[in-house]
Formats: sequence, structure tokens, C-alpha cells
Amino acid sequence: MDKTKEKIRSFMIENFLFGEDIDLKDDTSFLEEGIIDSTGVLELIEYLEEEFNIQIDDEDLIPENLDSLNNLEQFISKLLKTS
Amino acid sequence: MTLNNLNIPKEICQQCILPGTFPGIKFNDSGICKYCQKESSSRQIKAVEKKSEYRDRLDSLIKKIKGTAPAYDIIVAFSGGKDSSYTLKLLREHYDLRIIALTFDNHFVSPVAFDNIKKITDKLKVDSIIIKPPWSIVNEIFSLTSQKDIFSKPTLLRASSICTACIGMVKSIVLKTALEMSIPLVGFGWSPGQAPIQSAILKTNPSLIKPNQDALKKAYPLELSTKLNAYFIPETYFDKFKDTFPYNIHPLAFFDYDEDQIKQELKTIGWQAPEDTDTNSSNCLINAFANKCHISRHGFHPYVLEIANMVRQGIMSRDEGLIKIYTEQNTEMITYAEEKLG
Repeated sequence: MDKTKEKIRSFMIENFLFGEDIDLKDDTSFLEEGIIDSTGVLELIEYLEEEFNIQIDDEDLIPENLDSLNNLEQFISKLLKTS
Repeated sequence: MTLNNLNIPKEICQQCILPGTFPGIKFNDSGICKYCQKESSSRQIKAVEKKSEYRDRLDSLIKKIKGTAPAYDIIVAFSGGKDSSYTLKLLREHYDLRIIALTFDNHFVSPVAFDNIKKITDKLKVDSIIIKPPWSIVNEIFSLTSQKDIFSKPTLLRASSICTACIGMVKSIVLKTALEMSIPLVGFGWSPGQAPIQSAILKTNPSLIKPNQDALKKAYPLELSTKLNAYFIPETYFDKFKDTFPYNIHPLAFFDYDEDQIKQELKTIGWQAPEDTDTNSSNCLINAFANKCHISRHGFHPYVLEIANMVRQGIMSRDEGLIKIYTEQNTEMITYAEEKLG
């Protein structure tokens, strides 16, 4: 699943950090650190649905699933297993 | 307006209108930006299918919700501009919803837009409320955000700091009012370039809204943030109303969107295009100043991503996009805003 995390990391750096290769840690909170805002979350969802060919339901849009690289990796892994 | 009069940058995507100064932009050897390179014909076909799917989803949602709330089916954020006026018309005429329109008066609403607000709500038989914070508060917010960028970095890709401050308040006030009045739907007139279609019908989620609001509040100096408490969602609401957070909808993301057609249709219900606003707004008199501040600080227009998205989606021609973005900001309007802010 490391590939998943790296893909998302590249997307985050490219789209939300102006392409700056900063030290985005696996457990950095995107919301607390201001890396993404409410519209950013939706752009992230659009990317995840397209990249991993998954469907994310409204009720899954919670910080526990989306708010760090670690959380996202676990969430995507769960979705891919059940799809 | 011809293309010759525009300030088009030397380095610009040959397909859309994103400039070389846009953060993180890359061009291939043909001068096509990374966003346009990703856009394929299969993606465009998928987008058309998605629009149709979202129309069906809205039909089902409205069927389920219409008439169930005590007074209103939907609250619409209504600026009197073209997009929110058209959204109001669509929701009233196409779905016959019980609507309350909420206007946030930021002290820079064009007089023509105010006329439009009165005419359109009367014509469509929609209730209208206007929330106007005192000038001292608005002045403090706009003076601060005109001088520095206080919000998170990614917000700068999509809007000026002045706009982000204003729209942040609008979103909070509308959601807060929806919760207090048990309104199940919240409507916005976002253009198809403003937000991804995935967000066009979305149940708002308290656990996601709370950290977003906290980040927004934290961006302000403490004293100002305290003054703004009345406009934000109170902490207690996240638990008190946790089961009744409304759906957000922005139908222009999946209905046909053609600016000229929209203006024509709006004319039939008395809407007039203001002549005192900039090329990207049909209601706000601080927008030109906000754009100027953003361009001078960051080297790109705050609307360029939205308009480039619309050019890429084929909703707007490239020439129209160039005119919207690379027309010089009106100096009279900039001076008006500067003098008013003091």
C-alpha cells in the first residue's frame, strides 16, 4: 500500500502545496495545518475516485478517513477490499 | 473589447488560460499546461454522463425532501449576481421549492444588484432576508485581508483573501440559518468552474465543517475572531443539530451553463447586468480591488483557475476567458474601494 500513500503524497504536494517538496509527514493533519480547506477536500475526493476507481459516500467524508496520509491509506485500502 | 487590449502574459497555456505564474504549473513542449494534458476526450464523455447522473440525483433528493420541513425546502445564498439569480430561478421554476433567499450585505453590493435582489425575489415569489454586519466589522476584515493573506495557502489558488473572508462568512451564516430554521437544503450558485461536480450534491458533515471553521476562525486575530462569533456556527450546534445537517447543492455544476443564455433568461424576470462591477462579478464593488491586491501579491488573477476550468470544459471560449482574466482592473473601482476602506 506504500504506492497508494506515495501517489496521494504527490497529488497533495502538486495541488495543495504549490509543488513545494516540503516534509509532509504521514500523520500530518491536513485540516489543522491548513493544507486543505473545504473545497480542497472535495478536490481530493475527485482525485481519489478517479485514481483508485472507487466511490466515496457522503457519510465517509470524515477526518478519521481523510485527514492525513495514514488515514487515507487505511481508508482506501478498506474501500478497495470491499469493492 | 478585443484581445489586443489585454495584458496577456508571455508564458500562458496554449489551450486554456493559465499563466506561467500560476503556482505549481508546468507546460509540455507544445505549451500545454498539466491540467489540460490530463483532460482527455474520455474524461469529457464521463463528465457529460456525470452531469446527467447528478440531475437524476437531485430529482430524487428533492422528491424525498420537498414539503417535509416546517417552512422552507431550501435556503439559497443570494448575492443578486447572475449565477445565484439563475440558481434561484431554476429551483423555483423547475422544482417549485419553498425558498428563502439570504443575502449577505458586505457594504459593497452594487445598487443594481440590490434592485435585482428586490425584483427577482418578488417575481419568483421567494422570501428574502438580508444580513448586514456593521461597517466597522466589515471594514476591519477587508482592510486586514487587503494587506495580507491570512488564510491557508491553497485558498489563494481559487480566490483573493478578501473574497475568501467574505464567502467564508456567507457559507457560515447560510448554514447556521438552515440549522436554526430546520431547512434541509442549502443552495449556492457556484459556476461549473468553481467547485468539483462531486460536491454539487453533498450532505454537510459536522465533523468536517467544524475543523474547517476552526481553521478559518484561527486565521483572524483573536479580537476580530471574537467579534465574528455571531456569524459562525456556535460550537453547541455541531452536537445539537448533528442529525439534521442539510444537503448542500449547487445545480449550475450539472445544468447547462451558458452565460449569454443565462443573462437572456434572467432578463425575462427583470434582472439587469450592473455596469459598475468588474469582468468577473455581477454584484460586488470591491472585487476589482480584491483582484488587484491578489495580482500584485501573487502575480496571477484570483479567478484564473475557475475560468480556465470553464474553458477546459468547453463552457466558455478561450477568447472570452482571456478577456475576463487579462482585462486591466478598473482604476475607478479600485479607488472607490480604497477610499471607502480608508
